[in-house]
Amino acid sequence: MNRVAIALFVAAIGGANQLRQGYGGPPELYAKAEAPPYEPPAAAQTPLFVDGAATSGLNFTHVNGASGQYYMAEQMGSGAALFDYDGDGDLDVFLVQGGALETRAAGGAAGPASRLFRNDLTVANGKRVLRFTDVTERSGLALRTYGMGAAVADYDNDGDLDLLVTSFGPETLFRNNGDGTFTDATASAGISDPLWSTSAAFLDYDRDGDLDLFVANYLDFTIAANTVCHDAVGARDYCSPRSYRPVPDRLYRNDGNDRFTDVSAPAGIDKADGAGLGVTAGDYNADGWLDLYVANDANPNQLWINQRDGTFADQGLLSGSAVNAAGNPEGSMGIASGDFDVDGDEDLFITNIAGETFVLYANDGRGNFDDVRVKVGLAAPTAASTGFGTDWFDYDNDGLLDLFIANGAVNVIESQRGQPQPFRMKNQLFRNAGGTFVETTADAGPAGATPNIARGAAFGDIDNDGDVDVLVTRSGGAVSLLLNQAATGRHWIQIRAEQPQGNRFAFGAWIGVERPDRPTLWRRVKTDGSYLSASDSRVHVGLGASSAISGIVVQWPDGTRERFAGPAADRLVTLTRGRGQAK
Amino acid sequence: MMEQVGRGARHDSSWLIRIVLLTVYCLLPTAYSRAQSLPPPPLDAYPPAARAAIARARQAASSKPTDADAMGALGRVLHAWEQWEAARAAYGRAASRAPRAFEWPYLEAVVLQRLALPAAAAEKLQVAVATKPDYLPARLKLAEAVLDAGDLDRSAQLFAPLTDPSCAPAVQFGLGRIAAARGRQADAIEHFQRAIALYPQFGAAHYALALAYRATGRRDDAQAALQRHKEYGAQWPALEDPVLAAVHMVRDDPSALLQRGVKRGAAGDVEGAIADHEAAVAIDPSFAHARANLIGLHGRARNWTKAEDHYRAVVMLGVNVAEAHYDYGVLLGLQAKWDEAADAYRRALALNPLHAEAHNNLGQTLEQLRKLDEAAAAYRRAIESQPTLRIARFNLGRMLIALGRAEEAVRELTLLTEPRDSETPRYLFALATAHVRAGRREDGIKWAAEARDLAVKFGDTPLAAAIEKELARIR
Repeated sequence: MNRVAIALFVAAIGGANQLRQGYGGPPELYAKAEAPPYEPPAAAQTPLFVDGAATSGLNFTHVNGASGQYYMAEQMGSGAALFDYDGDGDLDVFLVQGGALETRAAGGAAGPASRLFRNDLTVANGKRVLRFTDVTERSGLALRTYGMGAAVADYDNDGDLDLLVTSFGPETLFRNNGDGTFTDATASAGISDPLWSTSAAFLDYDRDGDLDLFVANYLDFTIAANTVCHDAVGARDYCSPRSYRPVPDRLYRNDGNDRFTDVSAPAGIDKADGAGLGVTAGDYNADGWLDLYVANDANPNQLWINQRDGTFADQGLLSGSAVNAAGNPEGSMGIASGDFDVDGDEDLFITNIAGETFVLYANDGRGNFDDVRVKVGLAAPTAASTGFGTDWFDYDNDGLLDLFIANGAVNVIESQRGQPQPFRMKNQLFRNAGGTFVETTADAGPAGATPNIARGAAFGDIDNDGDVDVLVTRSGGAVSLLLNQAATGRHWIQIRAEQPQGNRFAFGAWIGVERPDRPTLWRRVKTDGSYLSASDSRVHVGLGASSAISGIVVQWPDGTRERFAGPAADRLVTLTRGRGQAK
Repeated sequence: MMEQVGRGARHDSSWLIRIVLLTVYCLLPTAYSRAQSLPPPPLDAYPPAARAAIARARQAASSKPTDADAMGALGRVLHAWEQWEAARAAYGRAASRAPRAFEWPYLEAVVLQRLALPAAAAEKLQVAVATKPDYLPARLKLAEAVLDAGDLDRSAQLFAPLTDPSCAPAVQFGLGRIAAARGRQADAIEHFQRAIALYPQFGAAHYALALAYRATGRRDDAQAALQRHKEYGAQWPALEDPVLAAVHMVRDDPSALLQRGVKRGAAGDVEGAIADHEAAVAIDPSFAHARANLIGLHGRARNWTKAEDHYRAVVMLGVNVAEAHYDYGVLLGLQAKWDEAADAYRRALALNPLHAEAHNNLGQTLEQLRKLDEAAAAYRRAIESQPTLRIARFNLGRMLIALGRAEEAVRELTLLTEPRDSETPRYLFALATAHVRAGRREDGIKWAAEARDLAVKFGDTPLAAAIEKELARIR
């Protein structure tokens, strides 16, 4: 073997190790070296986010139907989906509606429906005008269930994004017809489950080229068996989830013929209970197969490790990502899964209930987690918050993943007792300062200024201006569209991964953006996570001050790896499988 | 000079008056605002019992604006009613009025810990410990709060001198957490094992031990520790804390009585639990929660008539009726009134068709009525509602054996071979039986032997003996 061959061999081994094990060195060093010092915007400057919902025509108010009976479902809020349903290159908005619970549970079709808003973004002379048009009726998405969440994927591999809506009651699967309309395909697809469903995730767990479906289910609450609960002072209040029993989650295998089969039992998903509220798919033990993480309310969270034979094993407790340090389950709701410490693996941030603090589980690259909430400075600032929707997103395009959290209480807040809707809290924004987090809520503008009862949060570049915006839903309130104003001046890249055959949007692909002399930034193609919401499937990577990209590595959902030459920054690029170089 | 002095004196006198006036002016709004802003916010929104209790304490605090004890008493009342922020404020004011008092910073720290603010709690505990260094709960809480706030070195220093046996399990647990956080897993394992040896039901220590085993690659040991964690849950070694106990005794309203009753019931004091619950109902006859609990409590004490009275009262109240029907079904089952029990479970299921335990108990009741097919169907519905309800699957397996459907029984019972805990031996024994009935004698012997060994491991000697006897017969 000559020297060149040896060098290539060593480089190849090094690359493989890098992907599997991270970069060897302490992640804090990389991160700290990268994070530019935070400069809060001056008072006269624009806040980090502005609310563009009203001005863009995104007029939607959630109806929680609060009846005075304190039905458990009334406090859950509902979610949203950001997806390009018409394939015109911008993100459209689907908003899930609730209603009067008793009426909806009885099958009543009166009252407000879920809504689809088409994004009619225009760009002329460098000026962007964001405008939404309500296309609900013509799209066929005027769903009138007591809706909970939304999940998005091209389950039928026809090149457009389909929609699953979860509800208090059976979920509904809408097939995108590709002409701006949708067809209810629930029955024909074999999705049939009367349980109270919340969040859902599409993933190709069996690597057969089509997207399977995991649905998190919550509690055995029924209206007829509504439990009456009181708070500490004896006032009527919403019950703890412990007043009910968890119901089993579902895993549906996509049979490739537009039909699904419930494989919850043979896949082992029914071997653990949990009141599921959030779910995300990631490869937590870095074996190239997608696993599942489920956030359970007042029950241990589950880390379903893919056994690569069609089954899963819950390694939540053993992995250290199921309960707190005292071994007690927390009131987990939303999930952010991403590589916050730039060590090449996915870490998990979970929102909990007030008095618990939100937790960050740092992955060691092999699926073992450490609870680092105190160490990174996220415990104290979240102690008084009840969090729901959340995700990692690099709001300032500095290359490090930051956090947004949609907050809102589920039990009466002492200082608001006697007021209408006494559950209001401020949302929170945290900037990743390289190993620790700094709360920047005060600079976030409307994102954090007004207490509200926020629930869902979906993330994506809604105005296609090179930064990530946030859509926030509120229980019993108007939707908020937080347009990012923070990232001006820093570089970025957006990536759309594409597989010509099967799973066309490459859900589950693991994408590494290589940069000269700096660690690779890894992101997963996904829409899941957060709470009841689906985010943009395009991968957005902030690059900081330098626009240099050496190359982009894609580990496709079937585990094969391909490297693409480094594109120019500050644009959306499409990486089509087979057009790069095998790696 | 004289004139100057005189002028100066006049000048001084004028300033003195001004200072006095200014002081009075400054104090007035302070006193006013203190009187006005006594925690919590307006009481109109509170239910009568809480409103009355808090109003009384507020009145007492307002009438003695400089009295630390009155303000502290208000803090205790707010604390007892879980008005955390208001309690914190009241304790803080009490402490500022009596800086040398121990109770107020201590109790404020307890509230801060409840609010998940360990660093702030540690500050208050430091003050409390300085005032009363021999109060063990405060010293232990300080060490724990400092650890929770992330200061490992200082926490270790605070844990080290805590040698009193009463807090030894918690100290060992804390030292184990510190060792684990420093990556010294062998030391951590040693500390956790000591904690568990001192208090075997220490759920958190079992969990921490599992993670330490995992970190050293001992996955089987980790799994075993996790199993024990699952068994013991949140059990934690208690340390006598009279200062905190006094807070819990502030309340004597129905809800507080119910909470005390629940605790006593969980500790096995059924008569005490009944007394607390009955006292709650005596104050508030419409207290459905207390009445619902009394169905089960009187059932445990075999006071059938009283249990039935409370069941009927809950149904009349129309609150949480599904669970009441279920509890009543259990009550009737205990009296072998199978038909009536089945009706009660059906009433529960009509309200909540997903009630897994009700399905399971209905199955057991139908079994007693020799309706085996119906029983099997009920067990199957229980499993559909809650696949992890192992007892229901076991019952289904038994039913299928009884119905001569041995292969189906094998399929169901095979799903119960893991996890291995004290319940598993009988599941394995049932699986062995199913195999034998299906004509697979060797498989039956294999599973029966495994069941016997497991029964021995978990100390279930009668079951082990029964299996051994059956094994001998099969062989």
